[in-house]
Amino acid sequence: MKRVLYVFAAAILLLGAQYKLTEVRAQSAAPPLAMKASAIQVVMIQSDEIKLPAEFQISLYENLIEQLKKQGGFQHVYRDGDHAADSEADLVVLHSTVRGFKKGSEMARNVTTVAGKTSIDIHCQFNDKAGKNVLEKDLNGKVRFFGGNLRATLDFAKKAAKLAHDNFVARPTT
Amino acid sequence: MVLRSMRTATIALLSVAGFTALPAVAQQAAAGTKVTQFMGLEGVKPKAGGTLTLDGGNLQFTSSKGKASVPLHSVEDVVTGNDSQRVFRGTFGTLTMFAPYGSGRFLSLFRAKLDTLTIQYRDSDGALHGAIFTMAVGKADPLKKEMLAQGAHTSIPVEEDAGGAKPDAAKEKKP
Repeated sequence: MKRVLYVFAAAILLLGAQYKLTEVRAQSAAPPLAMKASAIQVVMIQSDEIKLPAEFQISLYENLIEQLKKQGGFQHVYRDGDHAADSEADLVVLHSTVRGFKKGSEMARNVTTVAGKTSIDIHCQFNDKAGKNVLEKDLNGKVRFFGGNLRATLDFAKKAAKLAHDNFVARPTT
Repeated sequence: MVLRSMRTATIALLSVAGFTALPAVAQQAAAGTKVTQFMGLEGVKPKAGGTLTLDGGNLQFTSSKGKASVPLHSVEDVVTGNDSQRVFRGTFGTLTMFAPYGSGRFLSLFRAKLDTLTIQYRDSDGALHGAIFTMAVGKADPLKKEMLAQGAHTSIPVEEDAGGAKPDAAKEKKP
């Protein structure tokens, strides 16, 4: 009787482990590629609805290009208006539109720790060369504790670069 | 007699002041504006300190770590603004955060105001670049005027831009 109980307990444990393993594998599996692209072009950040200070707009744009280069995977990262991008066959174009902006205060963050958050909400749209939308997602950038307000743009750029990398860079087959 | 001597003395004083002031102004223009290149210029590290000069239709940034030049006719937008930064910053500034009895928080109240100058320009391939500079208060607007006079373009006229920060406009619009 005791042996049966031991076997039953071991079976339940094994089943649980198997279930957890499947769940973890499913989570860690990379999302399916929206489209394979060897090059990406970043269009200047648009902020028609929201009045965004010029330094934030430039910082978003420059950080985005920097992070896309840093993340790797794309053979070329083109800037807005670059004529060299016209000859690329599998090019993906990133359009970013600011949907929300709240300028916080570095001093308030330093003094109170809880107040003074800066956040930027941006709608990212990836189009193929023909202009067809292949992926869109809302991302945000924020700075809660340390650093100046412009650090929120770096936070956004890292997220956007990761999104582009995960969805458009061909993964090596194992 | 007294009036005459006073007038002579005043003229002499003004002429001396004029002669000494003129070279000083010329020297300031030639020496350029001390700035920090926050980010964006090709070939220059972010947060590099240096001098910004306008020379021969070019905007030149010179520092000990690098040099960059942007033709002013390729500058599509020049915008000035203002900001502030901690007086105690860098490694020392970070260390002050751990100072006892909240003294780090107290030190973070000390902030220095500064001007920002943001430019957008295109290179020879048509690629759009942006650069952000910070400088002492009151330096950005004269520099912008000079840049516009030498061929740069702007989306915000100087008078409007001189108003500095637009806090109401910068805040998110509530639906």
